[in-house]
Amino acid sequence: MSFDTDFDPSLEPDGDCTDVAEIDPLEEPSACAYTDYTAGGSVADEVPATGEGAEGVEADIWDALYEVEDPEMPVSVVDLGLIYGVEATERVDEGHHAEVVMTLTYTGCPARDMLTDEIEAAVSGVDGVESVDLRLVWSPEWSVEMVTENGKDDLREFGLSV
Amino acid sequence: MRGLDPSVDTSGEESGAECPYCGSTDTEREHPKGPSLCRSMHYCNACEQPFEKFE
Repeated sequence: MSFDTDFDPSLEPDGDCTDVAEIDPLEEPSACAYTDYTAGGSVADEVPATGEGAEGVEADIWDALYEVEDPEMPVSVVDLGLIYGVEATERVDEGHHAEVVMTLTYTGCPARDMLTDEIEAAVSGVDGVESVDLRLVWSPEWSVEMVTENGKDDLREFGLSV
Repeated sequence: MRGLDPSVDTSGEESGAECPYCGSTDTEREHPKGPSLCRSMHYCNACEQPFEKFE
């Protein structure tokens, strides 16, 4: 496999390009049509989420998430800012279905399976939770600013500058 | 030439990282990478302790 390493994403498209919106689908498609990605989506209003003000089963789920620590540092995944949202929906005669939306510090994070397995196990262990759906998202992108004040204290105590 | 993935850039080479033990910024970056890609290695001249910076 080879990659075009000379590709410069800041280059302007050359004049031959047609705006995708102007292409008539009945005509020949343009060779340089591209997809314009914009930020958006319905993740959460404020990230990271910390579970402040959560009630009932959702509050219990947050408590369980606070118990899950990053495998490399003694800081909870919530304080590390990985959790973007938690939602518990009650199902008739089936208990609650929990949905956890989270990110990782970077896409290639080697602790991916370890963390997602641990979080799924922690959430499904909460009283009243029957099923868990964990969704990994990459937008908004995680950064050190996502670490909570609590998390920063934990990291400093561990000997990490944040 | 292979370019570096921007996600693995680390900071604290020019401006000293804040020492987590004594708060001094009189520190030096010893290596851009630590035990994981999101940590760089530093040394604090004030309290003479090595530490890592979370990127």
